[in-house]
Amino acid sequence: MRKDEIPLYIVDLALKKGATDVAVKLHDEQHAMIRFSNNEVTVSKFYNESVINIFLMIEKHRAATTVPLSSARNAEKAVNNLIKIAKITPPSELYAPLPEGPFNYDPKLLKDSGISLHSERLIGHVEEAINSALEEGAKKTAGTLDATKEKIILATSGNVHATQERGSLEISVRAFTSEVSSGHFVSISGDEENFDPSEAGRTAGKIAVAALNPQSGKPGKFTALLGPLVFADLISQVGIVSSAFLVDIGQSFLIDKIDSQIACEKLNLIDDPTIAGSYGVRAFDDEGVPTRRNVIIERGVLKRYLHNSTTAKKHGVETTGNAGLISPHPWNLIVEPGEKSFEEILAEIDRGIYVTNDWYLRYQNYMTGDFSTIPRDGMFLIRNGALSSSIRELRISDNMLRILKNIQEISRTRTWIKWWEVDVPTLTPYAVVRDLNFTKSTM
Amino acid sequence: MEELTEFAVNYAESLGAEYAESRFQCDIQESIILKNGIPEAVVLEESRGISVRVLVNGALGFASTNDLTKRGLKAASNRAYKMARASTKILRKRISMDDSDLGSVKVEVKPHVDFDSIDVESKAKLLKEAYKQAVDEAADNKIKIPSCSITLDTWKTEKLVMTSDGAYVHSFTPRAALFTLITAFHSQKGIIQRFFNLGGTGGWEMVKKWDLPKLFKEESKTLSEILLFAREKPSGKTDVILGPEVVGLVCHESSGHPGEADRILGREAAQAGETYLKSDSIGLRVGSSLVNVVDDPTLDGSFGFYMYDEEGVKARKRVLIKEGVINEFLHNRETASVFKIKSNGSSRAVAFNREPIVRMANTYLEPGDYSKEELFEDVKDGIYIKSFMEWNIDDRRFNQRYVGLEAYKIENGELKERVRNPVLEVTTIGLWSAVDAVGKDLEFQAAYCGKGDPMQGIPVWTGGPHIRLRDVTLGG
Repeated sequence: MRKDEIPLYIVDLALKKGATDVAVKLHDEQHAMIRFSNNEVTVSKFYNESVINIFLMIEKHRAATTVPLSSARNAEKAVNNLIKIAKITPPSELYAPLPEGPFNYDPKLLKDSGISLHSERLIGHVEEAINSALEEGAKKTAGTLDATKEKIILATSGNVHATQERGSLEISVRAFTSEVSSGHFVSISGDEENFDPSEAGRTAGKIAVAALNPQSGKPGKFTALLGPLVFADLISQVGIVSSAFLVDIGQSFLIDKIDSQIACEKLNLIDDPTIAGSYGVRAFDDEGVPTRRNVIIERGVLKRYLHNSTTAKKHGVETTGNAGLISPHPWNLIVEPGEKSFEEILAEIDRGIYVTNDWYLRYQNYMTGDFSTIPRDGMFLIRNGALSSSIRELRISDNMLRILKNIQEISRTRTWIKWWEVDVPTLTPYAVVRDLNFTKSTM
Repeated sequence: MEELTEFAVNYAESLGAEYAESRFQCDIQESIILKNGIPEAVVLEESRGISVRVLVNGALGFASTNDLTKRGLKAASNRAYKMARASTKILRKRISMDDSDLGSVKVEVKPHVDFDSIDVESKAKLLKEAYKQAVDEAADNKIKIPSCSITLDTWKTEKLVMTSDGAYVHSFTPRAALFTLITAFHSQKGIIQRFFNLGGTGGWEMVKKWDLPKLFKEESKTLSEILLFAREKPSGKTDVILGPEVVGLVCHESSGHPGEADRILGREAAQAGETYLKSDSIGLRVGSSLVNVVDDPTLDGSFGFYMYDEEGVKARKRVLIKEGVINEFLHNRETASVFKIKSNGSSRAVAFNREPIVRMANTYLEPGDYSKEELFEDVKDGIYIKSFMEWNIDDRRFNQRYVGLEAYKIENGELKERVRNPVLEVTTIGLWSAVDAVGKDLEFQAAYCGKGDPMQGIPVWTGGPHIRLRDVTLGG
């Protein structure tokens, strides 16, 4: 049997064995990664995998499995086991049949843009990034280059049989000018044309140079200028917790907030995987539903949660094409641009703090949105509309909903962000947030 | 799989690798997800494949595949070799492996009750009963549990590690883990949440021992009482007693991570970061003489259990901080070679398709000689922080924050009213230096430690006794 025939074969098999609904996804991935530190390569890695995900329902009884392709060739055994498990699994809250196709998909979204996984070419990207950071004055660099090609073949009992190919490139560069002075930036793309490792290295290097000789920062509430890495971390949290599943299990501060003004009117957040060539492009979700542009926040008002067909039925709405068979999720987040440049919004801040990066975001309470996260890399005091000095050792300890409401300004300039800390690709501007609470160690 | 694993080592060597390592790993997992008392789904996962790691002219290459044929392994080995060779273009210092003694051994943890002997229905029933206990207990206190997610994972791991310099380690390990997020709500008092984990190595007997219905009832009672009775957040200078749950986290975050030798060498600089410790920090005082932090993979039944690491090195207890002084770093064979010592068996990988890197296993503060009563009786005015919700630490592992969940005021040695969300935001050396008494109790919690790129969430225990800190400033 040809590889691309396997999903449909398993769907038919499971239906014959008594399943009411079946979705089978074959996922083929080739992923190269080069990690570097101290201006040299530390390890080069290559992953080559084919796995099959089988999800089936016997009405309210649901079970799923992931097996290597080699095991799935013995599909009958896997299906029999899953049917057995589903039959004895207690029923779920409701039964939402898988969406009925066939559907039409945008052909522009189905094809790989031709990412190269050639070792020498990938090493070349790393070399460019390192050299660019060093040319800006960095002493050492560290980071990761990722290059991925994947093929998804999906078949469902709802007359779906579709194939998507996609590729992506991602580089994350951290540059150091001293033990406590560093800068970080990224470049990500769904095609070779828009991938710019040099620019990522240059930006990281520039921040690292500016961050030299940091003084210990003072805690308190400040107007904060958040760089794209920081704002992407916060805004991707909003996208993630707009999953109706997370709302239902109490892991979201967006519960009961539909149609409420949750943010400044300047904030418009959209999930849009229908942009050909972008990192998070997807033509269909895991139920085979065509993806679409979903407005999550419009002029500060929460417009919708992200759904699969099960959460949609529970909430009495249509699926948004964001399945995850258990939990829906965003694909490709976009913050609409503001009107001013970075320089213009910086010039408007009399006293404040510019934070270029953060990590380790943890909630005290997912439902209220109380959390903290730690700025890392360059952080600067702003005085009279300009960066005045480098500071360190502060923590952002605040509340997500308060931050969203306290957004004052959003820049016209935007960058696609995804890296170790930010899982969902997010097109992110700079943002100004008033009265952001900074704390620091007391001893 | 022995033939294929050996084939991969031999083939990689034949390409010209000066070191070759191959690891077969198979993880078969069952997850039951309960959302607000109702099963969401049962998920079975089989991850099975082989990785090949090579050194080529001092450059490290890694490739994995789940195509378990000689053709698939040749392709993976070729790729690892080619990528390593290409990367020598930007390599200044050659990587090498130390000359540790390597195991030739089979290690098997046998469960008393196999997970497969308990049907899914019974497992789901147990979780539903635990949820019911939580809801009923809260209702008795006029508190609602608007949401509660419970995930029970049970899985078996088989690994076979072979290296070109003679390691042969074949292991079988069953594990179970439970993850819960409970939300408690009162119309006037608001919302609080508790996230907790259980985990260990063993069979279904371990899950039974957790006594989930009793545990959920107790957790729900505690959450209800915090909501109803906890007063304002304390601040200012005070004595603090930390419970084992918090102490374990502190040990992990501010002793285990900074002592990972790959961080010290800068290998994780762009992801989990570096460390305030340097190569020459052995002997540096970082805490009071009562502080002894160890990491021990060999603890029976522990979540981080292993007897041999992914490079074939025998595991042993590592004393990270001895009497307040940095004593030992965590090493794999690569970092040990740089430090010109032998690996202490800290190389771990979470799946066949993940590179083995330096990791903790079970990190804890060694008990002292104070009874719990003795710790408390000498506190005139203080705060007891028993559990936490929010925490984080900077990427040099020096500035950290722990926000208490279950916490009490202490007056004249006695536990008084509950207090809300005390914030301990301190430096690593500030915290360890404030320790003036260490309890003789010892408890562990399960966690997944995140590190690496791609991220590897690896099972660990964190633990310790109660400890007393003097003159700590709460706030934040």
